[in-house]
Amino acid sequence: MPIKEQFARVWLITMLVTYFAYFSAVVVVGETTPLNQIGMFAATAVVQVIVIGIASAVMEIRHKEGPKTDERDQLIDQRATRVAYHLLICAMIVVGCLMPFNNSGWKIFHAAVFSIALAEIVRYGLIVSMYRRGWDG
Amino acid sequence: MAKKRLRTNLRLTRFLSNEMTQAELGERIGVTRQTIAAIEAGKYSPTLETAFRLADVFKKPLEEIFQWETESRPKRE
Repeated sequence: MPIKEQFARVWLITMLVTYFAYFSAVVVVGETTPLNQIGMFAATAVVQVIVIGIASAVMEIRHKEGPKTDERDQLIDQRATRVAYHLLICAMIVVGCLMPFNNSGWKIFHAAVFSIALAEIVRYGLIVSMYRRGWDG
Repeated sequence: MAKKRLRTNLRLTRFLSNEMTQAELGERIGVTRQTIAAIEAGKYSPTLETAFRLADVFKKPLEEIFQWETESRPKRE
């Protein structure tokens, strides 16, 4: 399995697990103090950094020799990033231009975080799918 | 318009070239072993530059390794 695919799988699983936990906590806890809200988000980010850091180190050791990435990896990454970018732009228009008229504060913050997480999940999901399904474009 | 796709006999060419491994071939043209496997499986169409590099490794014209063929569909009984 290409190193980029392995990395995408780790990112995808990490994002799904951590953000599912984060948004579950947001729904369960509901309105709380700003410190708690920031604390939950910081905990999510720290878990992500730790998991990705360990995974990167392991993959770096396992794939010491040979080229790590090539044209196929770059093309797959570009295509997935393009789709995720458009998704993120649409979500940001909703969050930044429409939500402020009806919502405020943490709701907008959570919507923004959700948009970013969704775009990233879609990106890594597409990368994994393109490696598995194949892509002759 | 008839649907066409790139076909390759890279696996056979590699086999006839002293059974060169995918890793060895990938190293010679600067791509990963997985990309060679994807090209052979028809899951990835290489860039023109990589296709020429492949042809250059085997000292063969490009059209001997890659063919632009009409996609065959299974016949309905």
